[in-house]
Order: sequence, then structure tokens, then C-alpha cells
Amino acid sequence: MTDFLKATAVVKRYGGIVALGRADLSARAGEVHALLGENGAGKSTFIQILAGAVRADSGTITLAGEAYRPKNPEAAQAAGVAAVFQELSLIPDLTVAENVWFRHEPLSPLGTVRAATLNAATAELFARYRFPDIRPDREVRRLTLAERQVVEIGKALSRNPRVLILDEATSALPPAETEWLLGLARSVAAAGTLVIYISHRLGEVRAIADRITVFRNGETVAAYETQAVDDETIIADMLGRRMDRLYPPRVATATDRVALGLRGFGAGSKLSGIDLDLKEGEVLGVAGLQGHGQRELFQALFGLGRAEGSVALWGQPRDIRSPRAALSGRDGLALVPEDRRSHGLMLAKSIRENLTLSVVRRFTRFGLTDPTREQALVEEMIRTLRIKADSPEQPAGTLSGGNQQKVIFGKMLLTEARILLLYDPTRGIDVGTKGEIFTLMRRLAAEGYAILFYSSDLAELVHVADRVAVLRNGRLAAVLEGDDNSEHGILRAAMIERAAA
Amino acid sequence: MINLRRHRAILLAYLGMLLLLLLTSVVAPGFLSAAHLRSTVVLAAFIGIVALGQTFVIIGGGIDLSVPWVLNAAAVLMTLAAAGQNGPLLYIVPLLLVAGALVGAINGLGVALFGVPPIIMTLAVNVILQGGILVFTGGAPTATAPPAIQFLAVGRIAGFPVILILWIVIAVVATLLLSRSAFGRYLYAVGSSAAVATFSGVPTLATTVAAYTLSGFAAALAGMLLTGYTAQAYLGMGDPYLFTSIAAVAIGGASILGGSGNYIGTIAGALVLTILTGLLPALNLSNGALLVVYGVVILVTVSLGSESIAAFLGSFRRARRGDGAAL
Repeated sequence: MTDFLKATAVVKRYGGIVALGRADLSARAGEVHALLGENGAGKSTFIQILAGAVRADSGTITLAGEAYRPKNPEAAQAAGVAAVFQELSLIPDLTVAENVWFRHEPLSPLGTVRAATLNAATAELFARYRFPDIRPDREVRRLTLAERQVVEIGKALSRNPRVLILDEATSALPPAETEWLLGLARSVAAAGTLVIYISHRLGEVRAIADRITVFRNGETVAAYETQAVDDETIIADMLGRRMDRLYPPRVATATDRVALGLRGFGAGSKLSGIDLDLKEGEVLGVAGLQGHGQRELFQALFGLGRAEGSVALWGQPRDIRSPRAALSGRDGLALVPEDRRSHGLMLAKSIRENLTLSVVRRFTRFGLTDPTREQALVEEMIRTLRIKADSPEQPAGTLSGGNQQKVIFGKMLLTEARILLLYDPTRGIDVGTKGEIFTLMRRLAAEGYAILFYSSDLAELVHVADRVAVLRNGRLAAVLEGDDNSEHGILRAAMIERAAA
Repeated sequence: MINLRRHRAILLAYLGMLLLLLLTSVVAPGFLSAAHLRSTVVLAAFIGIVALGQTFVIIGGGIDLSVPWVLNAAAVLMTLAAAGQNGPLLYIVPLLLVAGALVGAINGLGVALFGVPPIIMTLAVNVILQGGILVFTGGAPTATAPPAIQFLAVGRIAGFPVILILWIVIAVVATLLLSRSAFGRYLYAVGSSAAVATFSGVPTLATTVAAYTLSGFAAALAGMLLTGYTAQAYLGMGDPYLFTSIAAVAIGGASILGGSGNYIGTIAGALVLTILTGLLPALNLSNGALLVVYGVVILVTVSLGSESIAAFLGSFRRARRGDGAAL
């Protein structure tokens, strides 16, 4: 059978950053083709190019033998390529049916749109693919996240695509709907459509994919017939080899004293039953595939959102209901948040004002702030963290990403909290600053700080953390240390249903 | 150290004020006389005191549209209760200041605790107060202001207007609060980004409520003082202060989106507005034309000072130079 979709040497750069170095893909009509790779491997960029949302810098793509270079998503849809992305594209104020047929509504002879026609067409579409029960006339804002994901799939199918792209489409779905979607992907493919399936769940990929293409660092590194390859090979392909001089030597500095003790800790439906001890002097890594409860763990610990179970800081039971309660000084805990720009920094405000925001009381005497004391704190942090700036009055938004992150670190260090929660602190930061941050983390640990550290880059966890707690489906899947603390071990525990031995 | 970049907008406001003064002295030569300047400053003081609360609220990322009728209610209730006598003022004035603060607190709680958009919350409170006062007074309050209040508004101590002394005290306190207190820090943080403030452990609820409370307090204070200037309270006396209180803050260089500005700027804003009000009649404009010019001048002044317009003009210049093409 000839290749229905063939991409050769596709390249995409964003400024100096190479998102795709050389992506190749060959896929046939009528197959389910899985696309695998770590976060940041270039999968998303590649499918955005296919879907017309992003234009490639170079390379060729052919679809059914013809050159395929869509100018925009409309053109891609016209060519028969429909994509379901992780970020939902539905309009909350419209009904299910209005969303499904958005911009290609079935029209009456007068050119008008009738709600009844839309609803009937939707009901017919949903019935044909055995959709879960969702009423076409409901407003999307009233639907659950899983239901919206299902509607999104309906919207893609309504265009009778020749290529259907499903990007992590099961990540928001409960088990029954996941089963349905897997069946749907198979039956759509059986009818002659090419289904490109992106998932971190190897089990799903095994169940439905005919072939697999693996991306790493923006390049295609391997392609297989699914039956002809085992999980270990795929994981090894995804990881590749990495340099590790980035990482400081790891000296075990953990004591027996428990800094942060969790028993039966949970948050809503995304996280439950976590029993974990973070020790003084320890860097405890947290790993997991996207959306398996890491974010909820960090937020709930910091008092954002509802938490269940018990938390003890330095042996004292604590009920933390707000970040303000968490930032209680030496016995508290501090968070370096995931979203630097909207949660970490006041971009228009000076480095000084950002650094000292959480500790205004430390330099307030008789109700008035003392600029001299404040300046001393600010200079101390700029010096220790080597923040590169013209002056402390420079707006934080004008700093490089790495220096912005250092300001956030400084703000949290000034609170004197000795339990630090670091959520993906090196994301989008240059390699040099990454190294500095790792060195800082190990130094703080040696000084008796206790650090909980999530990273979307497994290598960082392996090389910086003393132990790694792996989350899967909101539960603790494994705690790895020693030789078990490897990228391989983490991925196994995070992806494969049985816990790693 | 004075940071020119940060205070550019405020400097601009004062420059604008000087320019206006010069212009006025050309158009109306009598304008720069001591007597005229004094009356201009006195008039500006009322705007400045009303805009005191508005400054805090806008820096905190909100807006207070309930100013006119908090002001009006305090004025009407004070004159009615005091009935021209100084004695009762001893308890009436504190009571009404507390009442104004309470109305502000309700605004703040509605916004910060229940998530009502500030425009809706404060507009509703304004209308409720308006209706309440109309019902309460039957439409035509006639009481006059007690002598003590008149002294505060138009009196002098050694030739110096009392209201000006009051304004200076208020300005010092407001400036200290904004630039040298924890509350000030928190207020700028909440206005810059409520999310960042929350993540940084700032008491965002208390900060927002405090800002609105202060605004209610300031409006009530201004209302009572204003009766001393006009000698009596009347319905609708607060209405002009809705626009002027916001315009004074904006002309003073604050971002209407919150997070920046200070009271020194608002003082310039109040002076600019007052000089403008004095200048336009000297140009022999009709009342309608006067309002049009007034509106346009404020719009232009505020736009010139606004960061986003500056950024827009900047990007325009960059695009013409050609280095915007990389984007």
C-alpha cells in the first residue's frame, strides 16, 4: 500500500529555538498511526503543521500524492485534515450542535441555520459513531471536561476527515469513554481514514496502533510496526542519550527529620491517598505524565484549592488553606509556581518590589517600610542568586527568562521558609541558568532545606533528586531511589499499569 | 533616587499643568493673580479629596462609581441632622464618616469576596443611595451648612485657606500609605496582578476591602466639606465628581487597569481639571462646547500618559524602522 501521508524533513524554528529539526512520517490510509515522544519532542508542533495552525519553515508534505501545505486551519480542513487538540476549541456559550457544525452549518434553502436541523444532524452523527449520551441542544459551558472532549471529537468527525488527528484525546476521559474512543479510532480507520494518535499511554497505543513513529528532540528517531517492537525499545528511543555535565554532584544530605509529612493527602478527584515523607536536607523529585496529579499536589500543598488528608510540617500538623497561611516564615513552605508570568511575577514592577513582596513585614518598623533594610535584603538576593540586571529598579518583565525565575526564587527564599515546592523551575530556561538552579537546589538541601521538585524533564529528576515519587492517575505509583531512579524506571512506573519492581 | 522612567507620567501631568497655567495667563490675564490662584487651589482641593479614595481603588485594580451619591448622601444627611448648628457635628461627622466607610466596605466585599465586577457593584450602590436619599428627603432638602463646616471649606488661618491645610495633611498621609506602608505595597501588587499577589501571600481580600473603605470615607468627607463651600446641600451635587475623580487619577499618571500611579499625580490631575474649568469659560465657549472641549482634553491627556498608548506609538515607530518585522 502506498503512503497516504508522507512528511519529509519538516523543519520549524521559533527564533533561535528549533522546535522541529527534521521530522519524517509515512502513514497509510486506513491505519492508526501512533506518534510518541517526550514532552517537548516536537509532536505538538508537527501536528499543528498538519492541522494548518503553524507553517513549516522547510520540508515537504504530501497528502494522497499531492503537495500539502495548508495556509491556515480552514485550508487543512478543506483538504480533509481534522485535529482534536488537548486545548479545547469549543465556544462555551454555544450549544453542542452549534459547536459541532460551527462554520460549516447545514443550511436551509434560504441560507439560514435552523436549530432543529443542527440538532438532528448532531444526533445522527453521534448515533453513527455510538457517542456517549450528550444532548445536542445543551450549552457547552454546562458540560464536564470529559464531555467537552467528546464533543470536540464529534466536531472533527462532522467534517468526514481523511486524516483524523487525536492529540492526547484520552487524557481527560474516564475509562468507559476511553474504551469508546479507542474503538472509534479503530472503526474510523477501518473505514479508510488515517488516524494519527498521540498518547503517553503505551497500553492504548499497543491496543490500537498499527504503526508507531517516535520523535525525540524535534527529530524522527524510529518507526515501527507495532507488533514488531517491545515497550523497552520504544522507551529507549524516546529518551535517547543525554549529556549530564549539567548536573552538580549529588551528595546525600538528608537527615532522619521529616520536614513535610503527608498521610492520605489528596485534592478533589485528581489526587488521592498520597503518603509521602520529605526529609530535611532532601531533594524529593515528583514525576508523572502530564495531568496525573502533580499540579494538584503542589497547589493543594500551597493552600490553593481544597485538600484532604493530613499535612505535617516539621512534625506539627498544619491546615493550610491559602498561600498566605503557607508562607508563615521559617516553619512554612514556599512555592515557585509553574506559570512564571501570570503567577510568579509582577512584570511591570521592579525587581526590588517583586523580591520583597512576600516579606514586607520584615522591613516595616512602626508601620513604615524602611528603604535601607529593604535594599539590604534585595542586594543580598541579587548577589546570592547572581541576578543579572542594570539595577534593582529594572522592571522584572524586561529580564531574561532565567533571571525572572531567579527573582521568583529570591522572593521565596526571603520568606525563610525551609520547605520549598519547585514546580518545573527550569522550563523554558537557558542551560546555564538551569545548571545554576540545580547547584542552588543542592546547596540549599545541604543547608537543611527540604525540597519537593517536579520537572517535566525526567533527566533533571534523575540527576538532581535523591528520590523520585512517581504519580499515576493521581496516586503514588512508586518511590524510586538508587539505581531504580532512572528515566527508564520513572517512565515505566508512570506509563505501565503495574508498578515498577 | 528619582526614577524618571517610572514617574514620567506624573512629570507629564505637572508639565501639562504649568502649560495650562501659561496658556490661561495669555488668554485671561487676570488669572494668575493671587486671589484667583487661591480659589483655583481651593476648588482643586475638593476634587483632590474625592479623588483620594478613587486613587487607592484604581491602583488596586478597581473603580468606584458610587462616589457621587456617597458624597451627596453624606452632605444631605449632615446638613439635615445638624440643622445649621455646630454642636451636633461632634457626633454627626464621625458617624457619617463611618457610614461612608461602611458603604465602601460593602463595595469592597462585593468585589473581592463575591466577585461582582467593580463597575456593576459600585454603580448599583450609587443608584441605591441615590434612590434612598430621594425617598428620605422627599426630593428637596433645604438645610444649610453649619458655620464650623463653612469655616473648614472657605475659612482662612493667617490668610491661608483651611481646606488647603487639610488637603496637604491628607496628601502626606496618602503618600506615606502608598509608598511606605505594607498596605501600599499590597495594593500595588493586587492591582498589578491579583494572582501573583495571592501566590505571594498578600492578603488580597483585606487589601481590596480597605481600598474601597477608604474611598467611601473620602467621599463622605468631601461631601460634608463641599456643603461648606456651597453653603448648603442639594441633590445632584456629587454628580460632577464621578468623572472628575476618575479623570484626576488618570491624568495623574495611574494606569486605569491598576498597579501604578500615586497621590502626587492625582494632585496634579485635580489642578489640571480645575484650571481647565476656569480656562474654558474665558475662551467664550458656550456651555455645550465647553463640555465637549473638556472631554476631549481629558481624553487626550490621559491617552498621552497611558502606557498602552505609549507602547502602541512605540511599536508603530519600531515597525517603521523595520525591526518589528521579526515578529
